[in-house]
Amino acid sequence: MSETFNEPFPLAYGTYEDAVKLLNKPGEKVVSEFSVNWEMIKIYCSMVEDGNPSYWDEKYANKQWGGIVAPSGLLLTWPMSLQWHPQKERKHYFIAMTIPLPGDTIINVATNTEFHRHLYLGDRVSVVDELIDVSEEKKTRLGIGHFLTTKAQFFNQRDQLIAVQTNSLFRYYVPEEES
Amino acid sequence: MSREITFKYWNEISEGDAVTTITMDVPFERVILDAAATQDYFPGHHNPAYARHQGQKEIYLNTMAIEGFIDRVATDWAGPHTFIRKRQMQMRSSIYAGDMLQGEGKVEKCYEDDGRHLVDVTINISTESGLCVPAALTLELPASKTL
Repeated sequence: MSETFNEPFPLAYGTYEDAVKLLNKPGEKVVSEFSVNWEMIKIYCSMVEDGNPSYWDEKYANKQWGGIVAPSGLLLTWPMSLQWHPQKERKHYFIAMTIPLPGDTIINVATNTEFHRHLYLGDRVSVVDELIDVSEEKKTRLGIGHFLTTKAQFFNQRDQLIAVQTNSLFRYYVPEEES
Repeated sequence: MSREITFKYWNEISEGDAVTTITMDVPFERVILDAAATQDYFPGHHNPAYARHQGQKEIYLNTMAIEGFIDRVATDWAGPHTFIRKRQMQMRSSIYAGDMLQGEGKVEKCYEDDGRHLVDVTINISTESGLCVPAALTLELPASKTL
């Protein structure tokens, strides 16, 4: 018996040829809704049980880094859109979600990140994302689809480069006989 | 419960050194906390029916949680004075609610570049099912202990 879910993930649909047209066209710069804050840092660190005093201990962090810093793994979280906003439509900042292709779901495959400087409490992150590669159709153990590679540059409010991330994900569907 | 904090310096580290192994369980609660902590509400991380529709056996951790665990393996070993310069990771298989994570690693190279004292480490994240996420990191550390 097939299961149902009532919240299909919103993706753009189209053909491989449609996707290729969007290669190497950077999206708009997206500015985070909220600033880097200690509360979210603590929640994230509690999730992975990271007791690094750079995130918890002001005295240590001030001496070592000049202030509490954000864990590197939270980089993608700062520009995430809210689930609901009174004035704005919910909009993905990941350009990969807006690439028209046939698959109805995604899975992340590889992430490479180079870090240039820390994020500090109060910083406001902005990001520019770009599609740099899309594969022809491939069949994997999960399903049939296309590999998308994107490159995102993250900045602070002074336009200083924080990090550059290259990410590959698989946009696919599970064939009917396997679902 | 506080943990002991260790500080390693670049001149104390050698190629082939082991990175201290860490384990962490992944109950459903942690996967849901992951979605909330990272603001990543992609349904594969909180909706079991959607995860199965994707061909997954259960809801699973997102990339940001795995990054956090990899970084913790690195910095619990090298110390909080570590700056992670680079992290490369491949998600070969998902980490599901109910799994037990293990992170272990090894020093591949110690070198200087542009005045920075760097250490390349490999860190492998596994579960009972085997290797899930191999990662390679470049860590920047203080050259030596200053008295």
